[in-house]
Amino acid sequence: MKPAGKTLALLLVAAALVTLPWWSGDQYKLHLAALICAYWVLIGGLNLVVGYSGQLSIGHVGLLSIGAYCFTILAGTHGIHPGIAIVAAGGLCALCGFLLGLPSLRLPGFYFAMATLAFALIVAEITLAQTALTGGGVGLAVPGFPEPFDTPAGTYWLILAIAALVTWLTWNVARHTWGRGLVAVRDSAVTAQAVGVPVFRAKLTVFVFSGFTAGVAGALFAVLQSYITPDTFVFDLGLFFFVCIIIGGRGHIIGPMVGTIVLTALPEMVAPLAKLGNFFYGLLLLAVVLLVPEGIGRVFELLMQRLRPRRVESHVVKPDLERLARAIAKGKAAG
Amino acid sequence: MSLAAREITKRFGGLTALANVSLELRPGEVHGLIGPNGSGKTTLLNLLSGYYRPDGGSIVVDETDISNATVQQRARLGVARTFQKPRLLPTLSVLDNAMLGGWRDARAGFISTAFSLPQVRRDERELRGRAEELLHGVGLSHAIGRRANLLEHAEQRFLEIARGLAQRPRFILLDEPAGGLTPAEIEHLAAVIGIMRQSGIGVLLVEHHTDFVFRVSDRVTTLDVGKIIKHGTPDEVKRDPEVIRVYLGA
Repeated sequence: MKPAGKTLALLLVAAALVTLPWWSGDQYKLHLAALICAYWVLIGGLNLVVGYSGQLSIGHVGLLSIGAYCFTILAGTHGIHPGIAIVAAGGLCALCGFLLGLPSLRLPGFYFAMATLAFALIVAEITLAQTALTGGGVGLAVPGFPEPFDTPAGTYWLILAIAALVTWLTWNVARHTWGRGLVAVRDSAVTAQAVGVPVFRAKLTVFVFSGFTAGVAGALFAVLQSYITPDTFVFDLGLFFFVCIIIGGRGHIIGPMVGTIVLTALPEMVAPLAKLGNFFYGLLLLAVVLLVPEGIGRVFELLMQRLRPRRVESHVVKPDLERLARAIAKGKAAG
Repeated sequence: MSLAAREITKRFGGLTALANVSLELRPGEVHGLIGPNGSGKTTLLNLLSGYYRPDGGSIVVDETDISNATVQQRARLGVARTFQKPRLLPTLSVLDNAMLGGWRDARAGFISTAFSLPQVRRDERELRGRAEELLHGVGLSHAIGRRANLLEHAEQRFLEIARGLAQRPRFILLDEPAGGLTPAEIEHLAAVIGIMRQSGIGVLLVEHHTDFVFRVSDRVTTLDVGKIIKHGTPDEVKRDPEVIRVYLGA
């Protein structure tokens, strides 16, 4: 697509999303859209970890839980302004991400996944056991957002705005030098080293970032739930986040976003699918892994390529030596 | 002004892969490194670029001991390399692969990148310009926007060289760059290596293709089972009886 076409499509989607409260019809669909946005705040950040740097975290539900409880305790129990509580939830989870990532990101893939799994299980136990703080199994009531975000539409807009911000941030990271460095960490650590990418530090940086977005997502998620207990944060949810990215495709942003929308909305909209529950996710995951292992994002890419005229592709290497000499000399002069 | 191995010894378990090997790579010269399979050529290259640590001796650059420096620190000191089997990022474009070489020159940190501050766009413009020029230079004009997994073997080799040059190296270590190339492509490679030398880059050429090495190198070192058997100009090495016996054949 031409840049103008892209901008137009983007504007149309944005307009449709912003005006959703007027045409969605019922409150439930609006709630669902807000929930998708809240999930995306987490998944968007997690996408940099799983989809770009290739670190398979399945335990982000633990960070979501910490963010949700942090927000609820600060804004509810202590009456702190919800705006501050959201940022605090993000900050606390960024710190948790740092402490979790520091030892575990040095582990090879499978063991790292196990470490994040263990983390999620530990968080679930702690939220259940610390009755004084979290209300234990009884749970906590979550305060809503203050005016003007206290209506369903207001809440939706706030969450949509945060989701859009997260999308923009991850987009910027993905398409610049950092994104290339992360893909190098994922596809060839040897290459990453050779060009000077500090592999561990790069992994830790995006993991801390994903911690922050997971904490913010926890706060938003808690508000949408209006009441949280340890059972709200079942381990399945962590797997769900992970699956959204795998189905969407590694190294894409639109793909995992579509994955999040489809996997959240379909079971809710189509009653028979809801009955299937996890079976539906399993089936979809199996279909994607077998048919399009590179995910939905890659399918989009291939479709776009089909639309373009095909050219005969040359493979002949023909150096332009003068230009090469000039390019090297310019690099030397840059010092 | 050189990248040098001084009396390097490297052991893997009971096997001594390199014993007391010295080699000096100077700016603006092509240094050929030849020897039979298993003679320790790639091991030496991995020691110079920092993937291995020596068990004895030292690696120095400009008289500074860098034996324990990481691969990344050496990249910062101007040491670039390519791999025997090209290691590209298959899902990224040819341009992105070449731009990856400019990683250490990108000044924007993670937060500035996330917020797309002006520095990010400046970095991006500068790295893109550099990568494009190098890609045209090594002969990949036709493939700049292509995904790297769609490249043919020779294109992959030249893209690795472009990525290495995007690091603005003082020394580049090429691990069997002629492997799998046609005679015409080898001519192009020789020309590209010539330009690197002319531009003052020190080129270490690890190669099986001895005719090619003797033709483009200023000096040649021959290894056999971890020891240097001959070091000198191509003509000296070519005529050495020991080299002929173990490697070139009568």
